[in-house]
Amino acid sequence: MTNQEKIALLEETLEIDEGTLTEDTLLEDVDEYDSMAKLSLIVMMDDEFAVKLTGDMIKGFQTVGDILAVMEKA
Amino acid sequence: MNTLIDLTGKHILVIGASSGIGKQTAITLSSAGAKLTLVARTEANLIATLHELEGKGHAYCAADISELSGIEETVKQIIHKNGSLDGMVYAAGISMSMPLQMFKPEKLQSLFDVNFFAFVESVRQITKKGRYNPGMRIVGISSIASLKGDKTHLGYSASKAAMDAAVRCIAKEVAGKDICINTVAPGMTATGMLSRFTDNIGSNSESMKELKSRQYLGVIQPEAVAKTIAFLLSPAAEYITGITLPVDGGMTTC
Ligand SMILES: NC(=O)c1ccc[n+]([C@@H]2O[C@H](COP(=O)([O-])OP(=O)(O)OC[C@H]3O[C@@H](n4cnc5c(N)ncnc54)[C@H](OP(=O)(O)O)[C@@H]3O)[C@@H](O)[C@H]2O)c1
Repeated sequence: MTNQEKIALLEETLEIDEGTLTEDTLLEDVDEYDSMAKLSLIVMMDDEFAVKLTGDMIKGFQTVGDILAVMEKA
Repeated sequence: MNTLIDLTGKHILVIGASSGIGKQTAITLSSAGAKLTLVARTEANLIATLHELEGKGHAYCAADISELSGIEETVKQIIHKNGSLDGMVYAAGISMSMPLQMFKPEKLQSLFDVNFFAFVESVRQITKKGRYNPGMRIVGISSIASLKGDKTHLGYSASKAAMDAAVRCIAKEVAGKDICINTVAPGMTATGMLSRFTDNIGSNSESMKELKSRQYLGVIQPEAVAKTIAFLLSPAAEYITGITLPVDGGMTTC
C-alpha cells in the first residue's frame, strides 16, 4: 500500500475530508482525532493490518506519519 | 449447607465456565450441592475451574459455542456422560466496542454468534424431550447494557437486548414443559472482560467516571452475580420466569 493510499484510508477511518492530511500533519491539530476516532483507528489497524494498537502506542503518535509507520501487515 | 438454596444432585450445565462470572457461578453452585458440566473453549482453564469445585461427579467439555452446528453434538455428549439436565447457565459472552462506522456486518455477526445465536441454540437443544428433568431452570447472563444506550456499544447492547426479548417469548413456550427461563443483567462486574473494557476506553476517561457514578453501590463482585443465579436456579424462585433481573449496583435507577 502506498503512503497516499494509507492516508486515504486514515481519512476515511477518521471521517475527515479527502486531501486534508499529510505525513507532517500534527494530530493535535486534527479536531476529528478524538476518543471515538482512536477506537475506529484500533479497529481499522486490526482489520486491515492485523496490528493490535495499545494505549501506549496511541499516546506516542504525534503526527500522521507516526501512524503511517505502523500501517504495515504484522 | 444453605437450605434456602439447595441444589443437591442437580445436574447443571455452565457454558462459559472457564473464567469470570461463569467460573464463579460454577463454584457457587457446587457449594450448593450441584453436579456440574463446564463448557468453554480453553481446556486448561476449565480444568482449573474443575479443581475449585466442591463435591464429586463434575465434568467438562471443551467446545467453541460459536460453531452453532456443533452445539447439538456437545449437548448429546454431555447428557450421555452425566445425565439429563436440571439447569443451564449461559455465561459465555464477548464484548465489542466500536463506533457505528466500524461495525461491519461480519463484526455484528461474530458478536451475535456467541452472545445470542449460540444462547438460543443451546436452549433449543436442551429443551428437547429426554434431555431435561421436570423443573429445569435456565439462566442467561445478559447485561445492564441491554437497557441502557452508550456510544460504541450498539452491537453488545443489541445482542443482550435480543437475549432478554427471546427469554420473554421462550418462557411462555416452555412453561408447559415445567421449565423456567430468565436472564440476569449485571452492571460492571470485576472480571477480565471489565479490565479489557476499561483498558479500551481508559480507566480515567469521562465515560468510565460516568459509568462508575451511575453504579453507585460500586463495582460488583462475581460472587454477587453467582448467588443471584443460584437463587434463580433454586426452588425458591419457582414462580419467576421470563424476566430480566438487574444486578447492577443501582445503575437502572439513574
Ligand atoms: N464483567 C462485566 O462487567 C459484565 C457486565 C454485564 C454482563 N456481563 C456478561 O457476563 C458474561 C460473562 O462475562 P465475564 O465478565 O465473566 O467475562 P469473561 O471472564 O471474559 O468470560 C467469558 C466466558 O465466555 C467464554 N466464551 C467466550 N467465547 C466463547 C466461545 N466461542 N465458546 C465457548 N465459550 C466462550 C469464555 O471462555 P473461553 O475464552 O475459554 O472460551 C469465558 O468462560 C458475558 O455474557 C458478559 O457479557 C459481564
